[in-house]
Amino acid sequence: MSKTKNDKNFWKSLKEYYNDPDVLKSKSNEFADGVTEDFNPSELSPISRRNFLALLTASAAFTATACSDYQDKGEIIAYNKRPEGIIPGKPNFYASTCTGCSNNCGVLVKTREGRPIKLDGNPDNPINKGKICATGEASILNLYDPDRLSGAHKNRRKVDWKSIDSEIIDILNKAVSDGKEIALITKTVTSPTYKNLLTELKTKYKTLKIYSYEMFDDLNKRNAWEKSYGSRNYPSLKLDEANIILSLESDFLGKEGNYIEAARKYAGKRDVMQSIEFNRLYVVEGMMSLTGMNADYRFRLRPDYQKDFVLSLITEITNKNGKSLYSKSYSGKDFCTKYGFDQEKYSTLVQDLLNNQGKSIVLAGNSLSEETHILVNYLNDVLENSALYDNNSINNELIKNSSKADWKELESKIKNKTVSVVINAEANPVFDLSASFINEVETKISLVDSENETSSVSNYVLPINHALESWGDYNSRSNLISLQQPVINPIFDTRQKENIILTWVNGHSEAYSDDAYHQYLKNSFKENVYSRLNTPAAFDRFWFASLHDGAVQLNNETSANQFNYSAVSDIKVENKNNSEYLVHLQKSYYIGDGKFAGNGWLQEMPHPVTKVAWDNFAAVSPLTAKSLDVEMNDLVEVTTDGKNVKLPVIVQPGMADNLIAVELGYGREVISDSGKNTGTNANILLNGKGYFFDVNVSKADGTYKLASTQEHHSLDDTFVKDFHRKRKIIQEGTVKEYQKDNRFLDKYKYENFDITKGPEYTGLKWGMAIDLNKCLSCGTCVTACNVENNVPVVGKDQVLTGREMQWIRLDRYYSGTPEEPIVSNQPMLCQHCDNAPCENVCPVNATNHSTDGLNQMAYNRCVGTRYCANNCPYKVRRFNFYNFRDHFANAYYQNDVSALAHNPEVTVRSRGVMEKCTFCVQRIMEAREDAIRENKPLTGDMVTTACQQACPTDAIVFGDSNDKNSKLYKYRNHELGYHVLEVLNVRPNVTYLAKLRNTHSEEV
Amino acid sequence: MKKSLLDYTLKIRLPLMLFVIAASFVITFYVSRAERDGVGYAPEQPIKFSHKLHAGQMAIDCQYCHVGVEKGRHAIVPSVNTCMNCHAVARKNKPEIIKLTQYYEEGKPLPWKRVHKVPDYAYFNHSVHVNAGITCESCHGNVQEMDVIEQVKPFTMTACLDCHRNPEEQLPYLENVKKGPDNCAACHR
Repeated sequence: MSKTKNDKNFWKSLKEYYNDPDVLKSKSNEFADGVTEDFNPSELSPISRRNFLALLTASAAFTATACSDYQDKGEIIAYNKRPEGIIPGKPNFYASTCTGCSNNCGVLVKTREGRPIKLDGNPDNPINKGKICATGEASILNLYDPDRLSGAHKNRRKVDWKSIDSEIIDILNKAVSDGKEIALITKTVTSPTYKNLLTELKTKYKTLKIYSYEMFDDLNKRNAWEKSYGSRNYPSLKLDEANIILSLESDFLGKEGNYIEAARKYAGKRDVMQSIEFNRLYVVEGMMSLTGMNADYRFRLRPDYQKDFVLSLITEITNKNGKSLYSKSYSGKDFCTKYGFDQEKYSTLVQDLLNNQGKSIVLAGNSLSEETHILVNYLNDVLENSALYDNNSINNELIKNSSKADWKELESKIKNKTVSVVINAEANPVFDLSASFINEVETKISLVDSENETSSVSNYVLPINHALESWGDYNSRSNLISLQQPVINPIFDTRQKENIILTWVNGHSEAYSDDAYHQYLKNSFKENVYSRLNTPAAFDRFWFASLHDGAVQLNNETSANQFNYSAVSDIKVENKNNSEYLVHLQKSYYIGDGKFAGNGWLQEMPHPVTKVAWDNFAAVSPLTAKSLDVEMNDLVEVTTDGKNVKLPVIVQPGMADNLIAVELGYGREVISDSGKNTGTNANILLNGKGYFFDVNVSKADGTYKLASTQEHHSLDDTFVKDFHRKRKIIQEGTVKEYQKDNRFLDKYKYENFDITKGPEYTGLKWGMAIDLNKCLSCGTCVTACNVENNVPVVGKDQVLTGREMQWIRLDRYYSGTPEEPIVSNQPMLCQHCDNAPCENVCPVNATNHSTDGLNQMAYNRCVGTRYCANNCPYKVRRFNFYNFRDHFANAYYQNDVSALAHNPEVTVRSRGVMEKCTFCVQRIMEAREDAIRENKPLTGDMVTTACQQACPTDAIVFGDSNDKNSKLYKYRNHELGYHVLEVLNVRPNVTYLAKLRNTHSEEV
Repeated sequence: MKKSLLDYTLKIRLPLMLFVIAASFVITFYVSRAERDGVGYAPEQPIKFSHKLHAGQMAIDCQYCHVGVEKGRHAIVPSVNTCMNCHAVARKNKPEIIKLTQYYEEGKPLPWKRVHKVPDYAYFNHSVHVNAGITCESCHGNVQEMDVIEQVKPFTMTACLDCHRNPEEQLPYLENVKKGPDNCAACHR
């Protein structure tokens, strides 16, 4: 096709203008020649776009890494004005008083940079002498409980304190003018100043009535004491002088009275290093208790038969020692035949009591009836055991606790609408006493630290300080006033309970100041204590000195009264013939009456006998289980007075038949996430008939899985029966056997030999010894260790899979028959073996041995293969399957407040690392630091481990096993000392001292 | 034999690539080392405090301000009231001192930038080192010459162990120096 030049208005080139055929051809092609031809890679640049980009990125990354700015290291916020006496990194200690129960033990609070991190006993306190119980140790967690209330609430809405105070004062005034009663409900009052305050409140508001209670009180004991001796205040006991102790349903080593004091005194006469003149413990009880586990002779007896038992004892003894003032006779033989007692064992008991007149003591449990208590008082009198009453240290009763009749009266008054205000002062009657009737009262005021069943039905909820944020004085024993001082400012918007009441006493809300109760206390102390002491010191000086020491000792010795014999004259033999089931409601070992149910550390403490954590249960004897056709985890239904409770079963060897033992305090409904769904509320069974009564029991449908950290090895299975004895895990003897041949354990000794030469430890070498004669298995060491070493709470689901994290495990073994088992206990912790099997298998050398004999664990090196735990013969290594703080109860303990409870000297372990007992290496390093500063060598006695410090009986000894003068060396080389699983030649550094049972025979 | 593409890749490209990677890693590792260890880190502080002036020219003892270093773990940053011991009177009208006084009077915390840091899984203790006679300069450098504090030594485990294992080399001024502990639990717990 050709075109003339005129056709074109626009042209790009002359060639086009002249219609060059090349141009025409190219126009018909989309691309110019060569553009679309196949290209040859060899002619292209060797770097492709992809490579180019990769190189560019890589070089950019390298440059970025190389030239990046320094990593920011954060800031150090120094004090603006540094408080005197605080050196960052060094702890301060303050003396105070524990208010967990009415024993009011003296505590020493360890604070770091102003925050309390550990509670231990105050060594200057003459009663608890530097020891507190497991609950006290763990109570620090309650201070940092994120569920504590903050700010005053009216009908669930936050209101400012001032207006709520004036509102309440108006309500109180109105109640008085209307002539309506104001019921103030509080727990047992042990503080004299609080008592004064309540008296003043009563004077100000005339219609106020005080109701005080304790879930497990000693009312029967006090009533009996009043009838026997004319005073309600009974003396404490000189248990350290008793040769024979007979406990009747009294768990005096586990939860009754001041058990910390009792444990120390009891174990003081079980010290092989001092003498082998041991005391002998007889226990007569229904449920196997902590005291029962430690008994030399134990009898099974339902609590309702105890009275007859005491009567038979009185008859037997008075017949023999000729002090018969009591005509009714009920021979021991009759009793033994009726209740199937071992005659021989019974007469041993009678003989022992007779041979040790004035040197023995009979203890009756608080749950026993008033009559039984009077009989026991009489028995002690007949045996001249009143010599062991310590009349210098008397159990005071400041305000008499309300009786069952008082509560009934309150209930009817409320029903009749003559009560217009109920004040709940740090109590929980709705849960504890099932007192839901207070719901009908118009105004309900609750002074609580966190929501509970009673505060949840209250109109006014006033949050109160924790004990560590409070002032106080306590006088539970006549010879001592123990002072309480705050060690931290209130963390939340709370006020001290007494201070709130003081504002009401003053009658106007402006009267409040944070310091008001402190001043009130000081004045009261000046008037009531200082003025009576005749001390030459000025008051302020004396006050500060007393605060520093934590306690003031008084000398209030009273003379002993004569026993009033008419008290026993009407008591008759019951001769109860009962085939019905009996339920015995008991106090829980660790969570008390439910007050500590929200404390994860305490919930996770395995029960000392059954080893069940996180739940309560119905314990029954093997025979009863058979007759009920139940096994562990089956449910039984306990019915009384139309109320029933379904509980999972534990088959407990050594229990009395036809008896169901249930612990209270569980099944709280209004509680923080950490305490939700733990156990069953059995408080509803309480019916004013005491703590044991007849019930109907039947098997219920379904099962409930209990989390037990140690299964029962069936006692009749030949394969596992007595395996702890066969494998020499538990080595025991009797005092008689030891007297005959003090090296009787040598026959078990095993000659180990090495084919290689192990390392030699020439310098200091850490070691521990545990005296099983003194260890009661109370669990204080476990909680002390939890607090010291930031051990997490894992929750019930994890305990069920065996993932509990406690570094110390209290092993409990049964031998003998299921009816009359012998119990052996053994705390098991990392043995820090010289030839540690865990070390060889670690692929990353995260666990290895130090030159001072520690089996050390470097968390930041651990990759979590768990080979070490597999290879540990003692099974004491714990693996963090989760970050448990994050995992437990919707990350309950993963918050800023709870984090304050951590010990800053110990790493908080995260998911995927192995951990175990370190022998408190942080304390060793602290002692080393002190030694270097003072320029003296580090010696074994400079270190006290947390468990050792906490052990109420001083059963744990720690030190340098190479120092021939050390206490530890003596323990390690004692003839009763042995190592667990010696045959494995792992050479453990924890020595156990074999338990000697103080029986009359030479065989266990 | 005919040269294949594979031969070329294996004989030339692969070694070349490996060399480039290794070389760049090594170079980057060494070049960035100081910064990774924090050596040379000298952040600007909220108040232009000069150690050269205070510790150098005026020769104030380190422990006058860094109290407690011989007693505990920390060689704390001094509290503001320590500064005010002198500056309540001295050079009150200088701009930096006015800033300082303001912090003091308002009771506001002074956010001092952290220069030296060991990881939180290592429990370093100042007192054991100071009480053994080790001078501050041995780890913190010649502070008396620094206007702005800067980290001069790496605070790594190797650095710790170098000294713990060979103290005579690292701390020649100490007589009869003992080896430091080199077990895990000495620092990690």
